[in-house]
Amino acid sequence: MLEARLQTGALLKKVLEAIKELISDANFDCSDNGIALQAMDNSHVALVALLLRHDGFEPYRCDRSLALGVNLTSLSKVLRCAGNEDIITLKADDTADVLSLTFENTDNDRISEYELKLMDIDSEHLGIPDTSYDAVVQMSSAEFLRICRDLQVLSDSVQIDVTKEGVKFAAKGELGSGAVTLKQSGNVDKEEEATLIELQQNVSLNFSLKYLVNFTKATPLSSRVSLSMSSEVPLLVEYKMEAGYIRYYLAPKIGEDN
Amino acid sequence: MSLRQSRLTFGPKSALVASNVKSDKGTAGNTKDSDEQATSSNSTAEATIETKIENVKDVAMDEDVDRALKRQVKVYMLTYSAFQRTVTENFKTKKRSRRVIASDDEEDTEEMTVEVVKVKEQSSTLEHKAEDLTATTKRLKLDAASPKKPSAQSIVVKELMIVAKEAELEGDTKESTDEVAIAEAEDRAEEIEQEKEAVEIKQVAAKWADMFSKSSNEEIASWKKGEPVPYAALCQTFEQIEDTTKRLQILDFLVKFLISVIKLSPESLLTVIYLSINKLCPEYEGLELGIGESLLMKAIAESTGREMKKIKADYAEIGDLGMIAMNSRSNQPTMFKPKALTIPHVFKTLKDIAALSGNSSQKQKVDKIKLLLVSCRNKEAKYLMRSLEGKLRIGLAERTVVVALAQAIVLSRPNIKKLSKEKLVAELEEAASVVKSVYSELPCYDLIVPALLEGDIEGLKKACKLTPGIPLKPMLAHPTKALTDILDRFENVAFTCEYKYDGERAQIHKMADGSMKIYSRNSEDMSNKYPDVMDRLDKFTKTETKSFVLDCEAVAWDREQKCILPFQVLSTRKRKDVKEEDIKVQVFIFAFDLLYFNGESLLREPLSRRRELLFSHFNEVEGEFAFAKNMNSTQIEDIQTFLDQSVADNCEGLMVKTLDGNEATYEPSKRSRNWLKVKKDYLSGVGDSIDLVVIGAYAGRGKRTGVYGGYLLACYDPEREEYQSICKIGTGFSEQNLEDHYKELKEHVVPEPKSYYILGEGNKPDVWFAPVKVWEIKCADLSVSPVYKAAVGIVDSTKGISLRFPRFIRIRDDKAPENATSSEQIAEMYSDQKLNTVKNDAGLGVDMDFDY
Repeated sequence: MLEARLQTGALLKKVLEAIKELISDANFDCSDNGIALQAMDNSHVALVALLLRHDGFEPYRCDRSLALGVNLTSLSKVLRCAGNEDIITLKADDTADVLSLTFENTDNDRISEYELKLMDIDSEHLGIPDTSYDAVVQMSSAEFLRICRDLQVLSDSVQIDVTKEGVKFAAKGELGSGAVTLKQSGNVDKEEEATLIELQQNVSLNFSLKYLVNFTKATPLSSRVSLSMSSEVPLLVEYKMEAGYIRYYLAPKIGEDN
Repeated sequence: MSLRQSRLTFGPKSALVASNVKSDKGTAGNTKDSDEQATSSNSTAEATIETKIENVKDVAMDEDVDRALKRQVKVYMLTYSAFQRTVTENFKTKKRSRRVIASDDEEDTEEMTVEVVKVKEQSSTLEHKAEDLTATTKRLKLDAASPKKPSAQSIVVKELMIVAKEAELEGDTKESTDEVAIAEAEDRAEEIEQEKEAVEIKQVAAKWADMFSKSSNEEIASWKKGEPVPYAALCQTFEQIEDTTKRLQILDFLVKFLISVIKLSPESLLTVIYLSINKLCPEYEGLELGIGESLLMKAIAESTGREMKKIKADYAEIGDLGMIAMNSRSNQPTMFKPKALTIPHVFKTLKDIAALSGNSSQKQKVDKIKLLLVSCRNKEAKYLMRSLEGKLRIGLAERTVVVALAQAIVLSRPNIKKLSKEKLVAELEEAASVVKSVYSELPCYDLIVPALLEGDIEGLKKACKLTPGIPLKPMLAHPTKALTDILDRFENVAFTCEYKYDGERAQIHKMADGSMKIYSRNSEDMSNKYPDVMDRLDKFTKTETKSFVLDCEAVAWDREQKCILPFQVLSTRKRKDVKEEDIKVQVFIFAFDLLYFNGESLLREPLSRRRELLFSHFNEVEGEFAFAKNMNSTQIEDIQTFLDQSVADNCEGLMVKTLDGNEATYEPSKRSRNWLKVKKDYLSGVGDSIDLVVIGAYAGRGKRTGVYGGYLLACYDPEREEYQSICKIGTGFSEQNLEDHYKELKEHVVPEPKSYYILGEGNKPDVWFAPVKVWEIKCADLSVSPVYKAAVGIVDSTKGISLRFPRFIRIRDDKAPENATSSEQIAEMYSDQKLNTVKNDAGLGVDMDFDY
């Protein structure tokens, strides 16, 4: 039995927007710790790990661990029926063949109820090892979104170089080339926009811009984003929320393709 | 610089790097290995040739010259095939290493070149040896010419001539060859070809019997009992098959694999068979994948993160999406390996893909393909892509699969090891022939495979019989060139002549429940094309006729003039969703054979009885249904008159069939000599018309500006799944034709020739086409050509056959490119023609009186 009441329904809507492009079906793993989701995209190039901690809900109840197999496109369609101000309650039985969603609007006393059919999704839980990264860049999520979109005009991949001085995003394509450099800044006035770099070692990696742009769909969830990198290891892009996080992992592009 | 997308991995850094390096080394090592292998096989082949020569010399001392000769010839044949094999291997190696050089810009290159040079040297030494061999062969031939026991001698001559022919093909024909003898040899070559298959089956049977009686059966399977068969196991078998060209070995590999499947996961057997023949269901259900190259390239691009551009460039160079898919993947280290593919999963996905239609189905198809591709390991991607393309191109013919199935069923019996060797051989042969004959009656693995698993060979015979509602492959006729040929063929045999109507073959089925179907020559369901006929069918049958299968020809009919219209008129009928009120072209059905009647299969009955039943249980209906006109006289004058009459009645000519006895049964899917066709225009030039695939065109000039001026045609080699260029064509087209062809064909233009087009140096047209159109072509005669590649390797090892003075007759919309005239048929026509000329020159037979 799961019952989870979310005061700001808009959060769930944003979360869905942030993952549904990448993944079509996934299991929501519910436990007393909260609701988690982990899935790879079709090509096994990217992985999404989502956690909505129990303390983000009020109340939250989950007696036994449950896996709710959901078609994310369908869920996001249903969530479109919820207003931004609505309180959303998720409910599911232990048998878990449907997920019930209740949208309450306190202003005009409107209550809507939906049920979404669940499916069996065969997925194995992948153990993601704890990694200490060579470079961790913390920056404004809006800035990251802009850089990815701008560079996508030029190429489908971006080279990210991190040094003491700053982080450089560079793309080279048939049109020409472009680069954006953000300097390490202790901009205390605008904490939101500061770029902070923790560096053990310089890194230089290539990533598919298509995927990065896809990740930036999570921008509305957090004003900050952190990029953690080590060479030959997947990039971790993390958006922290008040009670939880959404993490994207992306395998770097390797080798030359002649 | 461009980059390749790696798959998501959370390994320790070093692991990732190391595996990368390793895989690089691995590939380099492999190529080297194969080179070494080729080199060593060269030297072994050389050694064998030498020992064989020694042997021959020893044997020559033997007093029994006949036997010695026979053995010698055999030894030579062996040596020759060994030599040829090595040469092919050399060639392959060369090609391979060339590719490596092209794709690999590292230091290895030099090493490779050295290897290549070595290989070349070796092959030239081998060529010298071959010359020696040729010389010896000739000496032997002279020996053989001296009189010996007649029967033995003929065999020797036969075998010798094959060697001689091969020798001739080596381009060493300076010494005068005994032409009559060669002709004789060629005459028999056809018989030999036919026997070859039977012999091969026998050989394999014997080999298996040997293995089973001697040793314990080794389990080669890589999975556990009851588990679904891994796709990798099938791909491994495919790979083994692709690596050899010997039919025996191919059969051997497949049988081994099938035995494992039967023993461990019998429920997967049917799917394995379907994947091996690259089909999804029986042909008449018509479910096809319908995936274009561009869609596949998109799937590869999306799943590997490579640029489409690169993949297209690769495709232009390599021409095999399978290889591209495999190479795009092969140096991608992974840690989160997706689950291994299983055969049921792959097959189900393929079927799902085929069933997708409508809105956004393309995207869904790509998604499904991507999911499969991501899970592919090693060689799997290669064969998966080829399956999706609809061309496995591993040289696995369907008839081999049928034989392998039969043998695997026998060999997986629990008590099989107790049988004596002789008995086992007999059993295996019997099984192969039973399954083959059942399949020709009931071409539906959905029924055959479960029946085999359930009731073995015996059960199959009982459970699977000709069934109305399931089309069988029609029996086909052999072309003849002269009426005298008929008399030669049917000497002392009762035969009959029938009109050969110029229409479309139609197989009419009526099931016991009263429902009816009409199938085409290719087992397509044509019931929708002929709603008018379907409606009238009941009028044609007498009341006692409950179920039947009729073999007919559907012909366009002019109701006013009461005459047959040419095929071209029939082909203007709509093919799908025909409404009865819209029909303009009326159809007349001429029934000529009854294959099944009221619950009883008549395939094994002689034609006389089948015809009797046909005549007595069906009604002729004026203007709608009739029996094919026939005549039973055996006088050549009567046949001539009958032929003239048939032509006057707008027919193509005559069919001549055996009437009684064992040879008068219906042989599904066979081009049998028990049925001969005599076409009106056979009697001059080359006998039959030829159906060829259009693969390219030349820009038109002068009067033909704006349309294609000429075309490049190809025949089809089903064995190798290749199209081989055969001739250019520019005559026989009306202006309307040219315009129509231009409009239709420009839709099918492709930028590069397909990798499975086999082309000579000089045949580079201005545009290439995908193989879609089949044309009927006539020509003056066939000749060996260094430029064209049709039937290359059959008549000559490097030269192909070409057509002289080809002219266009009509479009064959009823034939798929794969049904075009095969290389084998071309080769046969060529040798038939040569035979005739030789005969004529020698003044033997052929009356040239009726030259049209």
